[in-house]
Amino acid sequence: MDTFEPKIVGFLCNWCSYAGADVAGNAKLNVPASFTPLRIMCSSRIDPALILTAYFRGADGILVAGCHPGDCHYEKGNYFARRRFAVTKNTLKALGLDSQRLRLSWISASEGKRFAEVVSEFTEHIKKLGPNPLKETGDL
Amino acid sequence: MSNYDIIRKKTIEFLKKARDAGCFKHILIPMEIPSKESFSYVLIKDESFLIDASPLPPVNPVQGAKVLSSLTRRGELTGKTAAVMRPCEIRAVIELGKLGQVKLENIVLISIDCPGLLPFSSYTADPEKGKARFEKVIGEWGNDSIRPVCMTCTHFADKAGDIHIGIIENNNDISVIPVNDRGKALLEQCVIPAGKDTGARETKIKKETDKRQENLNKSDDELKNSLQGLNNLDKMFADCIGCYNCMRACPICYCRLCYFNSENIRHEADEYIRRAEAKGSLRFPADTLLFHSGRMTHMSLSCVGCGACEDACPVSIPVARIFQFIARQNQALFAYTPGSDREENIPLVVYKESELEDFEDSH
Repeated sequence: MDTFEPKIVGFLCNWCSYAGADVAGNAKLNVPASFTPLRIMCSSRIDPALILTAYFRGADGILVAGCHPGDCHYEKGNYFARRRFAVTKNTLKALGLDSQRLRLSWISASEGKRFAEVVSEFTEHIKKLGPNPLKETGDL
Repeated sequence: MSNYDIIRKKTIEFLKKARDAGCFKHILIPMEIPSKESFSYVLIKDESFLIDASPLPPVNPVQGAKVLSSLTRRGELTGKTAAVMRPCEIRAVIELGKLGQVKLENIVLISIDCPGLLPFSSYTADPEKGKARFEKVIGEWGNDSIRPVCMTCTHFADKAGDIHIGIIENNNDISVIPVNDRGKALLEQCVIPAGKDTGARETKIKKETDKRQENLNKSDDELKNSLQGLNNLDKMFADCIGCYNCMRACPICYCRLCYFNSENIRHEADEYIRRAEAKGSLRFPADTLLFHSGRMTHMSLSCVGCGACEDACPVSIPVARIFQFIARQNQALFAYTPGSDREENIPLVVYKESELEDFEDSH
């Protein structure tokens, strides 16, 4: 299990969290290489089906990151995103699935350090959980 | 005369009187189809059709909210129309109203106490026997021949519309109860005495609600054992043929183009090969659990537990009970009861600045 490098899919909002990831890169901060960032225009763009697709295809962890509450480029997108995320995570939990593989975090455009910390912390957490069993489950 | 016929006749009498007094012009109500094998919603203008109406049919092949959605798709109705439906259907209508999928203007919603519905397939196998069974259901106010999801329904006497027809503990009569100011004004306009909840009625409703709550707890416990976890889910949905009937029959799944019916989930052959290679194998139809769980995240906040999905499932997966099980847990996040309050927004279109802290930065 020592060699397990979790595959983490990150949905990052264009205005804050993706810029935060850029800052982390420019500052040469260490971010686990197995993290796959996907840039989206707003965290509220994340339809639950996208999270679930990543989950059922075997992603070990899924991070949704957006601007801090009150800072959304579209004023309230992240508030809606939080509700949608809660419904998604709660649905997985109610189905008895690994809702712990889902994380929502607010990362601003200047928080390169926080970005690196969130991704590292989440990666460590997923390492403890082990690989997503759906990675090798024929299909569901 | 059977209970069924008494309720039918009295309700029709009331509708006639209200229509004659100009409360509404048209009536949308279930009616037995000419072959006597099933029921269907009929929009009635001519009074001669009204005598054949069945306000409380034993089965419900098409959810009333879907009918009202088709009826008002291109805009609101010009004349007033009464829609007589079960509480779950009216609750779905109210949810669709919030979503702009039913134009509620000019619709008078009339709900009726519901003893439950018979499973559609068992009824159509022998309609005559079905009618006899339903007569018993009305007499005993729900028994185990009704659909399992109805046995766990605690909203059977919800005054969901503008006017409610109470039949529980009414001594072979119906009680026409105004629910809101609109209903009250209408009854005054057509000089129909407003009924109200009697003590006996309330006691009976309370007793039945307790019984159904007990059934619900039992059903939840069963589902916890048989649904939760990957292996259980695999077993539960193993028979799913991917027909999407559950989605098509669902009144809340209103999207004209469903994501799961779109090209977004149809892939190049290479993509399937890659998935099969990564996972070792790939079962078809693919993405079964993605479809069901995706639908849960999309519609569960407004799910009223009407059971249309379960009636429509050709392989008898208990979809209604499963979806209600999930829906109630999601609705609890926002203390939301779908269809209970027209003024209350659907949780996904509103927010509070500080809330759901448990979901932030946690795993």
